[in-house]
Parts: sequence; structure tokens; C-alpha cells
Amino acid sequence: MVSPLQRKLWRDIGRHKPQFIAITITIFLGVGIFGAAWDSYTNLIASYDQTAIDYRFANLTVAGGDTQAIADLAAAEPRVESVEMRTMVDVPFRIEDTKLLGRALGIPSSEQPSVNRLDVSAGEYPTNGDPSTLLVEDHMADHFGLGPGDSFDILVGDAWQQVTVGGVALSPEYIWPARDRQDIITTPDNFGVAFVPEELAEQITGSGPNEVVIYYFGGEADEATTLSLTTAARELGAINIYTRAEQPSNNALTEDVKGLEEMAVFFPMMFLAAAGMAAYVMISRLVHAQRPHIGTFLANGFTRGQVLRHYLGYGLIPGLLGAIPGAIVGVLLARLITRLYTSILSIPLTIVDFYWTTLLGAIAFGVVASVLAAFAPALVASRVLPAEAMRGETPSGGGRRSLLERLIPPLRRVPTAWRMTLRGVGRNPRRTIYTIIGVVLSLMLVLVSWGMIDTVRNLMDRQFVEIQREDATVFFTGPTATDDVAALVAIDGVAAAEPALTLPVTVSANGEHYETALMVLPDDTELHRFADVDNGWIDLPQRGVVLGQATRDLFDIEVGDSVTMTLADGLSVAAPVAAFVDEPLGTMAYVGRTQAEALAGTSLPATSALIAYDEGASAATLRNTITELTQVAAFEDANVLYDLMQRFMILFYAFVGVMLVFGGAMAFALIFNAMSVNIAERTREVATLLAVGTERRSISRYITAENMLVAAMGIPLGLVIGTLAASAALGSFNSDLFTFTLYIQPTTYLFASLAILAVALISQVPGLRAIRRISIPKVVKERSA
Amino acid sequence: MTIELAGVWKTFGEGHTAVNALKDIDLKGPQGEFTVILGPSGSGKTTLLNLVGAIDNATRGRIEVGGTDLAQLGVDEQVRYRRENVGFVFQFFNLIPTLTAAENVELVADLTASDGAARAAEVLAKVGLADRMHHFPAQLSGGEQQRVAIARALVKQPPILLCDEPTGELDFETGRMILQLLQDISREQEQTVLLVTHNSAIGDMADRVLRLRSGEIVDDTHHASPIAAGALTW
Repeated sequence: MVSPLQRKLWRDIGRHKPQFIAITITIFLGVGIFGAAWDSYTNLIASYDQTAIDYRFANLTVAGGDTQAIADLAAAEPRVESVEMRTMVDVPFRIEDTKLLGRALGIPSSEQPSVNRLDVSAGEYPTNGDPSTLLVEDHMADHFGLGPGDSFDILVGDAWQQVTVGGVALSPEYIWPARDRQDIITTPDNFGVAFVPEELAEQITGSGPNEVVIYYFGGEADEATTLSLTTAARELGAINIYTRAEQPSNNALTEDVKGLEEMAVFFPMMFLAAAGMAAYVMISRLVHAQRPHIGTFLANGFTRGQVLRHYLGYGLIPGLLGAIPGAIVGVLLARLITRLYTSILSIPLTIVDFYWTTLLGAIAFGVVASVLAAFAPALVASRVLPAEAMRGETPSGGGRRSLLERLIPPLRRVPTAWRMTLRGVGRNPRRTIYTIIGVVLSLMLVLVSWGMIDTVRNLMDRQFVEIQREDATVFFTGPTATDDVAALVAIDGVAAAEPALTLPVTVSANGEHYETALMVLPDDTELHRFADVDNGWIDLPQRGVVLGQATRDLFDIEVGDSVTMTLADGLSVAAPVAAFVDEPLGTMAYVGRTQAEALAGTSLPATSALIAYDEGASAATLRNTITELTQVAAFEDANVLYDLMQRFMILFYAFVGVMLVFGGAMAFALIFNAMSVNIAERTREVATLLAVGTERRSISRYITAENMLVAAMGIPLGLVIGTLAASAALGSFNSDLFTFTLYIQPTTYLFASLAILAVALISQVPGLRAIRRISIPKVVKERSA
Repeated sequence: MTIELAGVWKTFGEGHTAVNALKDIDLKGPQGEFTVILGPSGSGKTTLLNLVGAIDNATRGRIEVGGTDLAQLGVDEQVRYRRENVGFVFQFFNLIPTLTAAENVELVADLTASDGAARAAEVLAKVGLADRMHHFPAQLSGGEQQRVAIARALVKQPPILLCDEPTGELDFETGRMILQLLQDISREQEQTVLLVTHNSAIGDMADRVLRLRSGEIVDDTHHASPIAAGALTW
């Protein structure tokens, strides 16, 4: 049976339906985002983990050095379950007319490898002993339409050798097809992977296995084993050692999923804070307006506990109504997001579990936020003195000149109505502060979302326009003389060509090691620019190595400190750090060609060429012409890469767009409640002004101006805090793979501010419409209007 | 300004819940008359006041004030009518808490005059608040607040003053002082005053006393020589 007090609760909520709906929706959104993001994150991590276990994804990969000795050493480690030696070689592939950088990975010819197993999605694992039958990686197969029975060419030695596709395979190593840690983003036209019989791989390299892949018991990470093996492998000449977490594909995917984890905390926190504040403002107003009722309750024998519980109910109900469906929708949405994500990325295993903890936790977050918001006003209600309360409404503020009037004396002479507007701002400081906080939160949400778009756009422009100034990169089949590079300029449409030599290198300092690529460029390179983190654009220094800025923290070094660079053949060179550069993608090492040749004591070849087109030259024609050259293995058009990234960004933009809409909804809910209360609280004033002959539109103007002034006050603070929040949010994505330096366009600040003001303006409409419905006779006569 | 009501009905609600707050009211009030409307709660006193002040519309009948048929006024014309012709004094003062006494009065003065501040000061001085005009409502006593409300009503120099229980929230002494003020000013400015109260003693200060019961005028008494408000007792 519903008690009269409960009926009162529901009827009060009914009377303030729009305000409570706004609170409920904000809680729904906050809880929903939490449920969706958290469960998606949990599911995806579980999917990756299970994939790693099922496919025996290597815990440690060691390249170079004495492979057999490293393998033996690993096999002797008690925590190591399986060790596999294999050959990994980058070699040109030719698929019909397209030449691309291929990677051939040796696999046993009799059975699946014991580490890094493959998921053969079409055809069969090649066990027929034919070294020319192989598996192609899913992305390459998909892009070129390759299937069992098809064939393409691999450059073996100086000759193209035809191979047959025995099947299509997914590999835990290439879920995200990254060539290496410094080359996370590639186009399928430029990079593809084939799993070839070990015999063929060794035939290509002309030597034995060059990699050891190691799997620990149960696939579980073991730091002590990793440290021991890494140290030993380095002593045995290993050049590139990476754990599962550092493996390029896995690292890129983990970074991506990390975004969901951030989202599961950051966005719900803002929504629930906004809902809490909206609820606080609303319930405080109710308590204030119901003081005579509260006095009557208490005078009639209700306990203070009953009053407290009654007013907590105003928080509990929207909390439950928002949180329960929010949590259910969020958890259901997580299933959809997980499946969509794993299907887009072709993750072999999708784990979609139901987590009671997420559901209950999400509901608890929503309810707690709302009930906490109700607590302060409920406590005030329970402490009301009955006799005082029944005497009627307490004066709402003593009134005083506004701060603006005190600071700017001429404002004291503005028309009285506008003075009323100015003073209205400080009339209820707490509500003004909450409205300002609401504006700040909304701007935070908008700037964090919009800042990501601006930053990523800027990042892409910086990387692909300002730093990498080449129009294309031509990869050679092997070391090529710089004269051959110079000859590329003779091709019609090529304006410039610069030789580049890229070598895998381990940079070491202060006992830390970092595997990266060393790029040797002409001293006066025009096609690659260097952005010194301290000094802006610089030329390639005559002496010393230029390092990506992530190494600065990793090694705890500064410019002038010495680092050791160890090349694949074991050759070590010490060089001072000449500069740290800010490059959004990757963490490379650079030296000038003159210096490199002086260190090597000989002239050095090129592994690729950076080329610039003549204005108006056709990229397609150049691609055809250049790839026909025998020494050319692949041609990577920078614009294609740029466009590919733009395409990846569409999903990101969609996500940010949704966040912007949600942010708008949150801003609306919060500002709407504050404005509604502001208008409701002054009903009698409005009625009095109407009674004395003030036009409704004038009153609407005054109230609008006051509310907009409050909203405008929140904007500078919101812009500052929003920028800091955006910087923090982006900073959490920083790694050696990506460096996100926040960039927000001035127009973004302008539009974000205007958007919030527009929301503030629109959110007043219901309240201002209510002014039209005010019954003057009723209100001016009532004690508690 | 004359006030004339003919066959006025005011009904709230519809169907079986309909309540007739006023029933077939006929009334003629000449300019400058001080009328007190008496009656118990729910008798229709305030409703009558609201109809004359054009903040509510009659259900039936005709109300003419200074020759203007209020039923014919549109929303904007009602606003103009109130602005130019009517001053209200409410039981609960209804002052704007964020404005000083002077500013509360000035706010209304600005509606009809360009020298609002000067006029506000003048009227506040007239109601004895020259030294309190820069205080905010919360810094004033109940009587002072009601005097500000009266000054606010008078500052437009409206031909009609409508007072709804102006002493209802005040103690005896303060109430009597307010009534004296209203009596003096209305005589001086020849304003037509309708004052609603449930306190029958106040009727002695009026030129005319109307008694309402259940929406009907049950008594209409004219006083040839009303007593000074300062001499009232209750």
C-alpha cells in the first residue's frame, strides 16, 4: 500500500516531470556509456587474451643473434612451454601488376607451429611438402581477392618465383597488419604477409632461422623469465626483442582498446556529476518551496529520519529510473560493440560475456550519484525547525549590489531592470556555481571530444604534410646505389628523389634498450623535416643522432648524452644525442648520410627513396612507371596512406559526434534544470511585474539575460578546464607509437562556446513558456509562490 | 476614474467542479472613492479586485473602467491598461529581494516615466522612507516593506489603487499607519481605491463598504464622513 508520503513523492515528481526526466536521462546516458564502454573493454581484452592462449601467441620474440643458442636457452627456462625457431624475411611480392613489400614467415611443413598458431579460414594448412604452397594473411587475401589455388610471385634472389596459395590464415601477430613498431600504419597495397614453408623462407634469406618465438606456460606473462631471456639473448647478439605487449599489432590494438577504458571512466563521471548537480538544484528548490509542508510534517509527529528518507526519495527515483535501463542498454550495447569491433578487425575469437558486476556496478553508480545529490537538501529538510518553517517562506537572500556593479560603477546607472538582472546572478550563489560547473562540464565534454578531432587532424597534417614531405616512398628490392636513386629524377613527373637507408637498430642508454629503425637521410634533406621539441624546425645535425622524443623519458637522457646504437649485424656505435624530435607517429632515430658514411668508413646504399612529384603529375602513372623498374619492390603513395587514415577516422568522428550529442544533452539537462528552478523561484516576482504592467517579453528578456550571463561566466573557466582535460585525456594515449600533442583550433573554442550558449538559450525555452502560463491572481495571493 | 460592473460572473472550473466566485455583481464606483470590500475567505473579494485590475477576466458580464470595457482588451492592451491605470498593493508585499527599496519603486516608475529614479525617491519620501530607500527588502521591517509596496503602486500615479489585504501581514500599529498612508495619499491624489480585507473595523475609514458573501454583494454602505485611519481600532 502506497503511503500518502509516497504519493506526495510521486506527485511532486509528476509536477516537475521535465526536470526529473532531464535528470533521469543524464543518469541513463552516464550509466549507459559506462556499461557499454566497460563491458566492451572487458570483452575485448578477454577476446585478445583468449586468442593469445588459443593461438599460443608468443610471450617473447627474439630476432637476430645466435638463434639456436637463444632457442636452447629459452627451452631450458622452467616457465617456458614452447620454443620455435623460424625465418622471417621481408621480400617483395608481386600480385598481378602490384608490387608490394612482402613479409615471408617460415612455418613448419608438417604441422602448425607450436607458437603463433594460425587460424586457417580458407583452404588448408600446407602439409604436402611443396615449398611453393603457402598461406596468405587474411588482410592481404581480402585486399587482392586471393584464395586457395591462386598464385603470385615472390622475389627469390634475383628472380620472381611463383607460389601457390594453399589457404588464407589469421595470425595473432597480424590482427592489425603492422610492419613494425615504427610503421604501424600501412596500406594493403604496400604491405602483405605470407606464411611460407620454412624451407622457402630459408631459401629466400640464404641462411637458417633468424627468429625465436617463445611461449610461456599458460601464455601468462612472467617478468623474471622475460628479463633473464632478454639479457641472455642480447649477449648472444639478438637485435630486436619484444614482449607480447610490445608486439606491433598487439600494441596497436591494446592502445586502441585503452580508449574504451578511458571512456568508461571519464565520460560517465562527467554525466553522473552533471546529473547529480541537476538533481541537487532541483531537490534544493523543492525543499525550499516545501518548507511549510516540512514544518507541518514535523509538527504532526513525523520523525526527522522520515523526512530525510522522503527527500532522499527524490534522488533515488530518478537514479533507479535512469540507472536500471541505462545499465541494461549499456551492457547490451557492449555485446554489439564487441562483435562489431572484433568483426571489423578480424579478431579470430570473440568473447562476449555477461558481467553481473558491471550491471550492478553501473546501477550502483547511477543511484549513488543521484542519492548523494539529494542528501544535502534532504538533510536540510530534516533539520527544519517546524515553527519557523510554518511561518512561511524565508527570504531568499538579503540582496546586494552585484560584483560587477561594484567593480564597474557606471553599471549602477543602467536601467533598474538590468540591475535586477545583474544582481540575479549572485542571488543564489550556490545555484549560480552549479550552473557554472554545468557549463564547465559540458565544455569539458565538448572540448575533449572536439579536441581529439582537432588533434588527430593536426597530427596527420603534421606527420604527412609537415614532417614527411615526400609524395611517395619507393622501396627497393635490396640495397641500392644512391646513383640509382638519383636516376629516378629523370622519370617524367618526379621532381626530387632522396636516398633513404633504413636499418633495424637497438638504441641503448642507462641500461635501457629500445628497438627501432635508424633512418639515414641526406644531410640537407628537403623531404623530411625535423621538429626539435625545444627549438622548432631544425636541419639534420652534422654530428650526433636525432631521436624521437619518447626515448628521452625512456632513457632519462638529454641532448648531448651518449647512446649506443647496435645494428643487426651486431655492430655497435656510440653517438651523442643531437636533438629530440616531435613526431606524432613512431619513435625513430635519424642520422645524416655524411656522418653515417664516416662512421661506416664506406659509402652506404639506399633501401628506399623519398620522392616528390612535379606539380600536376599523375600518381597512378608514376606508380606504374616506377614499379616496373626491376630494383623497385614497392611504391607507397603518401596520399593513399593519408586517405586510408582519414577512412579509419570516420569511426572515430562518429564516436566523437555521438559524444558531442550526448554532451549537448547533458548540458541541456543541467542548464535546463538550473534555469527552470531560477524561473520557478521567482514566479511571484514575475507575477508582480506582470501585475504592474511589465510586458511578458521584457520579463523573459531580463531572465534570459541573467541566465545567459551565468552561462557566459562558466565559459572561460570551461575553456581552460576543458583544454586541460583534453590534454590529460590525450596524454593517456601517448606511447612510443603515438605522440598526441593537444591541438585545439581557435574556431573550436569559439564554436564550442557558442554551442553551449545556444544550448543554454534553448534550455530556457520551457521555463520562459511557463512565464506565459503564470496565473497572476493565484501567484500574487499565495504565500509560497 | 469610474469603475462600473454590470452582471459580472466569475466561475472557476467546469462542470460539476465549477465554483462561482462572483455571481451577478453590479457595482458603480465614482472617481476618488475609497471603497473597502469586506467578507470572509472565499467570498470573492480578491477575485473582484483581480477583475478590476485586469489580471483576470470575467466569465460573464461587463466591466468598464474609465469608460474602457475590459473584456474588449487584448493581452497587450491589458498590460497597457494596468501600466497606466492601476496600482497594486499585495498582502505579501511581493518586493524584488535583489533590488533596494528605491530600485523596486524605480522599476515600476520606469514603465511610464523617464525620470523614474527621481520619482521613486519622491514617493518613498512621501511614504516616510527617505532614509531607508537604499536598503534591500530583507533589511526592512514588514511595515517598511509594505510602504515600499505602496510607493511602488503610487509612483505611476495610477487613477485606481487596488489593495489586497495590505495589512494582513502587519501588526496593529503598523497596519494602522499603512492604512492612514493609503487614506491620505488617495485623498490627495483623488485616486479610486478598492481595498480588500476581512477586518470589518477597517470599513470605518472608507467612503463605502461592500460586504461580499459567497460571491454576492450582501451589503453596500456609504459613509458620509469616514473616520481617519489613525483612529481605527480592532
